[in-house]
Amino acid sequence: MADRVTLHEDIGTLEADFTHLTFATEADVDAFYDEADRRLAATGRRWYFLVIYTDCVIKPEVWDRFAARGKRTNIAYGLGTARVGTSAAAREAIREHARRDTFRANIYESRDQALLALGEMRKRHEALGETGAVGTAQTGATAPILEVQGIQLSFGGVRAIANVGFGVNRGEISSIIGPNGAGKSSMLNVISGFYRPSHGQILFEGKDRTHLPAHAVARLGFARTFQNIALFKGMTTLDNIMTGRSLKMKGNFLTDALYWGFAQKEEIAHRAEVEKIIDFLEIQAIRKTPVGRLPYGLQKRVELARALAMEPKVLLLDEPMAGMNVEEKEDMVRFILDVNDQWGTTIILIEHDMGVVMDISHYVVVMDHGAKIAEGTPGEVKADPVVIRAYLGAH
Amino acid sequence: MNWQFFLEVLMGGLLAGVMYSLVALGFVLIYKASGVFNFAQGAMVFFAALTFVSLTERGVNFWLALAITLAVMVVLGIAIERLVLRPLVNQPQITLFMATIGLTFVLEGLAQLFWGSQPHGLELGIPDEPMQWLSESTNINISQFDLFAAVVAGLLVAVLAIFFQTTRIGRALRAVADDHQAALAVGIPLRQIWAIVWTVAGFVALVAGLMWGARNGIQYALTFIALKALPVLILGGFESVAGAIVGGLIIGASEKLAEVYLGPYVGGGLESWFPYVLALAFLLVRPEGLFGEKRIERV
Amino acid sequence: MLYREAGQFKSTYAGDQQVFPIRQDRIAVVCLLIVAFVVMPLAANEYWLSAILTPFLIFALATLGLNILTGYAGQLSLGTAAFMAVGAFMAYNFELRVPWMPIVISFVLAGLCAAAVGIVFGLPSLRIKGFYLAVATLACQFFVLWALQRIGWFTNHSASGVITAQKVVIAGYAFDTPATKYMLTLCIVAVLAVLAKNLMRSETGRMFMAVRDMDLAAEVIGIRMMRTKLLAFAISSFYCGVAGALFAYTYLGTVEPEAFNLDLSFRILFMVIIGGVGSILGSFMGAAFITLLPIFLNSMARPIENVLGIALPPGLMSNLEVIVFGALIIFFLIVEPHGLARLWQIGKEKLRLWPFPH
Repeated sequence: MADRVTLHEDIGTLEADFTHLTFATEADVDAFYDEADRRLAATGRRWYFLVIYTDCVIKPEVWDRFAARGKRTNIAYGLGTARVGTSAAAREAIREHARRDTFRANIYESRDQALLALGEMRKRHEALGETGAVGTAQTGATAPILEVQGIQLSFGGVRAIANVGFGVNRGEISSIIGPNGAGKSSMLNVISGFYRPSHGQILFEGKDRTHLPAHAVARLGFARTFQNIALFKGMTTLDNIMTGRSLKMKGNFLTDALYWGFAQKEEIAHRAEVEKIIDFLEIQAIRKTPVGRLPYGLQKRVELARALAMEPKVLLLDEPMAGMNVEEKEDMVRFILDVNDQWGTTIILIEHDMGVVMDISHYVVVMDHGAKIAEGTPGEVKADPVVIRAYLGAH
Repeated sequence: MNWQFFLEVLMGGLLAGVMYSLVALGFVLIYKASGVFNFAQGAMVFFAALTFVSLTERGVNFWLALAITLAVMVVLGIAIERLVLRPLVNQPQITLFMATIGLTFVLEGLAQLFWGSQPHGLELGIPDEPMQWLSESTNINISQFDLFAAVVAGLLVAVLAIFFQTTRIGRALRAVADDHQAALAVGIPLRQIWAIVWTVAGFVALVAGLMWGARNGIQYALTFIALKALPVLILGGFESVAGAIVGGLIIGASEKLAEVYLGPYVGGGLESWFPYVLALAFLLVRPEGLFGEKRIERV
Repeated sequence: MLYREAGQFKSTYAGDQQVFPIRQDRIAVVCLLIVAFVVMPLAANEYWLSAILTPFLIFALATLGLNILTGYAGQLSLGTAAFMAVGAFMAYNFELRVPWMPIVISFVLAGLCAAAVGIVFGLPSLRIKGFYLAVATLACQFFVLWALQRIGWFTNHSASGVITAQKVVIAGYAFDTPATKYMLTLCIVAVLAVLAKNLMRSETGRMFMAVRDMDLAAEVIGIRMMRTKLLAFAISSFYCGVAGALFAYTYLGTVEPEAFNLDLSFRILFMVIIGGVGSILGSFMGAAFITLLPIFLNSMARPIENVLGIALPPGLMSNLEVIVFGALIIFFLIVEPHGLARLWQIGKEKLRLWPFPH
């Protein structure tokens, strides 16, 4: 087995070559993983994994052990995995398992593509300051910042979401796509705490937060925008964005009533923060305009500003580009990318514009009729026949 | 526990409740058809009753006075649609509600302006006396008049229910209640429909006014009866004709029973607030009422 | 020309957030304050002070209270008069049973009692909205009035049900002339109005408006529904309670439940609608309008009689008043839902350009 495992120091990657290999018994599985674990432990640091599945056969009866050992090794020594499967059948099989066992398939057609993906992953982790030290177990790239598992949601007799689960990594842009009525907005509503799922769990930073109401979810660090703009129509742009600072404001109605002093200082301090966001989103001219009078595109931008004012850890965007023309879309995409880059905010996006989704997402989840039908990187999803059938048409 | 007395109070309450239902019916009609919560229904009852009684007192024949009053209510309905509803077509419900509050004041003022503000009595020919054979055989006193009112209300409800369910206009009314713009898109003549609805509501108001007027006399306090119809609507649901009846019965019965059995402990006067508090408690448990439609807010 | 703001720049956020950022506005407000505090007590006659200005201030305060609840926080309430009644009766009881307490403190405590009642009857607002809530507040109106009448403690077991309010004495000085009563009312109302303005332009006001405009979105921001709605009820009821206490002590002279009937609740609601929903200035304008309208109509009676040569029936004017109120409500809702305050704003915009058309 030793020759199957290669450690590439320069790119911090362990390459496991399963080409033409058959895992028929548990002993086979253990043989490989014992060797891998031994080598990894000796290095004293974490590695990216590159696994090549070309013509690899894993018997169904040993799959569970294979997956279990793989998970253990990942948690102990891994920073991220990319897989290679040259045949479509192999890729299908891996994706199927990934769906069932909720791990990221990250499977590519060629070794070069997989290495590229690992490179991207590495860059992102470096930007976020993730280290490769052994022992940073549940933090770091392997544990997602947000995980939903087995979510089910019904309205009356209508099943809106049927057993959906996926994970979102910190600092990444993940998209949920799917035809109309697929349950995407409902999923977002579940994540932001509006709807209580009848079954399932939501884990944030490893902790269960399934039953938290919407305002408590906001307190944890979630902000969102809405499909049909949910701005406060009776207030100006500035006031709307200031409401986003609500959680950060200390003080109560008594200090407000006596304004001069504490409340005024708070107002000015938060106003300064809000002005930074106004500059960032280039909406200075409409500060004092009541939002009801603004055109649609600007209203969406103000809504984004309000969400950003909350300094969220996770930003949920529900069709932020709906109804915009090309220029407005480009602006919005630029803003979203800037937010992700500058502040490292994790973003979950619902969007219909495939070009945008494929361009900016790190990870894509596809839903249809309330169920998850595919997930993976944009490249994987684009090529997935199930997705193409359900949604994309000939590509 | 004096069962006969209890039954008497209960029956009295139920029958009073029927009277409340009559007023509530008018509310339900307008709400069902135009989505407007017509706070002015009570004022319409007052206006209709006052017009009728003022005509008969001036010597006009009963049936002629009825016809004239109905005509007046029709004109009123059309005027309201044109002057108040049409300009406020797509405004939020709360605006329309407040407009009907304003309408209440206008109607009350107008009624008293035209016909003066003294109370009037009204005779419909049916005495407010216990039914002889019932009180003789079972010792329970139930007013003939109350029974008559119940029968009238029942008839009215039956007619309205048939109207809504089976006729084309009834269907159109239900469509309009759901969504003005969609109804317009399908070609339903919104304005005519509204004029029809307000006319029918005016007719119901007239009937209610006559019943109440004969019972309690026609005076300014009649408008407060309309306020009592609000708890009826909350219990029964705003969109349901059946709910108006059931709600009325419950409110009427509980109000009387509370007054008789709980009143002595707290110094009386319970009927001024008991129905409202009951409705409030009900709202907390089942906001849409017994027969109302649940509204799900989608984000 | 007169109202040009050119040249008045703000270079700090504090400057930008002033209540009156334009110099002309500041001058106007100072003049208004001088008229109110100095000119009126000296120049106005007793009738004006006791029958027009004092009730105007009291109603303005109650309108402020209702505006905070209905205008800013969007919770429709038809129980305003009940909260005023609580304020009046509790002020009476505090004065009666704790004689050494300064009367202004009694007023404040009465307001706090009204706030407590407001919180209790505001609890349903957590589950119900819109005109369902209005009906719930009707329950409050009727129940509170019944309780104040039936439960003897409130009226000190008075046989007639009508209680004379005690004299207002502060630090040995008796406030018993129309001028002194007016000044006391003016001071209290002015202070509370300033506090209200501060509340509404800071975070509290924004939270209320967020709940009014779209409460689901407010929850997403992290605003707690329960706390915010109950706070709105509490503050609003406090204001109405103090207004009720003033109503009894500086205007009516008696504490009677009949004065706080449903009609009064509607009247104050009308002041809110006509004056301008969600506006401090509007509250004052609406109160002024509704207070002055009957007087205006009554003063028209004589000239009309003279012109037409007939004697108008006695009830005519009061009926007309009612009709005009109702018609005005409908008119304002159709033409300018934001009331006089918005008309005033539009006027100022035009004034900026005057005498040029654009």
